[in-house]
Amino acid sequence: MERKVVVTGLYMMNSLGMDIKTSWENIVAGKSGIRNITLFDTTQFATKIAGEVPGDVEEYIKKYCKKHTIKQMARGTKMCFMTAKEAVKDSGVDFEKLDKERCSVVLGVIGTGFSKIYEEKDPSNRILRTMDNAMPAWISLEYKLEGPNFTIATACSSASYAMSYGFDLIRSNRADVVVTGGASANITPEEIGGFNEVYALSTANAVPEKASKPFSKDRDGFVMSEGAGILVLEAEEVAKARGAKIYAELIGYGLSSEAYNIMAPMKDGYGMAKTMEMAIKHAKINKEQVDYINAHGTSTQLNDLYETMAIKKVFGEQAYKIPISGSKSMIGHTLAAAGAMGSVITVLSIHNKTITPTINYDPDPELNLDYIPNQSREKDVKIALVNSYAFGGHNATMVFKKYE
Amino acid sequence: MPAVTPAMKEETKEIIYNFYSEECNVDRNTLNENTNVIEDIGGDSLMFLELLSLFKKKYGINVEIKSIGKYVLKHPSATLGKILDLTLLIIEHGDKIADLA
Repeated sequence: MERKVVVTGLYMMNSLGMDIKTSWENIVAGKSGIRNITLFDTTQFATKIAGEVPGDVEEYIKKYCKKHTIKQMARGTKMCFMTAKEAVKDSGVDFEKLDKERCSVVLGVIGTGFSKIYEEKDPSNRILRTMDNAMPAWISLEYKLEGPNFTIATACSSASYAMSYGFDLIRSNRADVVVTGGASANITPEEIGGFNEVYALSTANAVPEKASKPFSKDRDGFVMSEGAGILVLEAEEVAKARGAKIYAELIGYGLSSEAYNIMAPMKDGYGMAKTMEMAIKHAKINKEQVDYINAHGTSTQLNDLYETMAIKKVFGEQAYKIPISGSKSMIGHTLAAAGAMGSVITVLSIHNKTITPTINYDPDPELNLDYIPNQSREKDVKIALVNSYAFGGHNATMVFKKYE
Repeated sequence: MPAVTPAMKEETKEIIYNFYSEECNVDRNTLNENTNVIEDIGGDSLMFLELLSLFKKKYGINVEIKSIGKYVLKHPSATLGKILDLTLLIIEHGDKIADLA
């Protein structure tokens, strides 16, 4: 019999809250975390808006780390560490009672958030602050976890690839607990400038909170944001043995490479559709069972069009009945953490029987699915998909199920 | 190189203990010469480099890290007592600490 993988701990920190409660409440309320960038001077940039976390990371981290450790962490690593600590606390797992060689950390990371804006203030500890593996390393050090501990980098689907690997570790009986997810702190001159160069970012600076508008007719690019999302995955029998609360079950995933273009998604959402089909097959469910999708929905012209086409391709007439959230409309695009952020929101949606909206929604005649426009909705979700796509063609779809 | 006096030794000890106490968020009174920096208070080897730069400035010491490395290879300095001994040797001998290895 296959081992079941369940979610026993959750946490997220994003532009709508430094803690999961605030963040979730704001997401359910349909608020936007997008503001003018304060982390650096944006005078020379076309984009002047982003989703910065609302609290002072340097102050918050003092509650979690020793002084010398703080100096060795970059902004993204700090957010990841705090989020992981809270997710582990939420899970109630006591690693001292487990075989630590069977406890792992697998994270989606594409940079720690180190930038010239921080280096100018303090150039010390450059290596420790820039190494991508710092995030899982610090978490592993904190709990003395001795199982596989590493990062996966597939751009904006990194966290989903990490969760997939975490799923495999448990399903294949090589781990009992996996701390997984991702973090990102890319609101830097280097990243904003870089994404502006390829015209990927929104420049709707005038009203920041309305700039991110997935599936809307006047969408003009994604809005960069930062944050961390962590899930504690656990073998069902281990979780039940310790009487853990179980939020939901992770029942499968689909991963595929488009092998098409370094930036653009494959025409008409062919690769996206294929990935959802793979996930449904891997999860051993019928398409008819899917009753919610947390979309990648970046607010770019191509992604939102192709993702919509892909959903229609996979589900046919049923596509029009499946509610679809564009969470990035509220919290922006957290890049490497995006899959984790979508997954935390989805697991909470299942657990709380509330699906979250796509705000700033103004219908595009070409996109005619149910994007849960502007207001949350009560729904007892049974099976949900979470989509993540990335530059490089790294597609991922996660499948979560209500735990019964 | 300055000769190490009892007063200097006491001052150096205070600087070292206060440094580790503050950086590792531990009570100064719980530290003693047998306290292991990594295992007991969650510090790391990089912290000594920060401490070293502080003493280099204070005493105008000229010493290469590789010279200290040669010495430490044969005389591991994991406890606060050993770190104090190492620091005093660096203050007294500077780069010639390698010759003591």
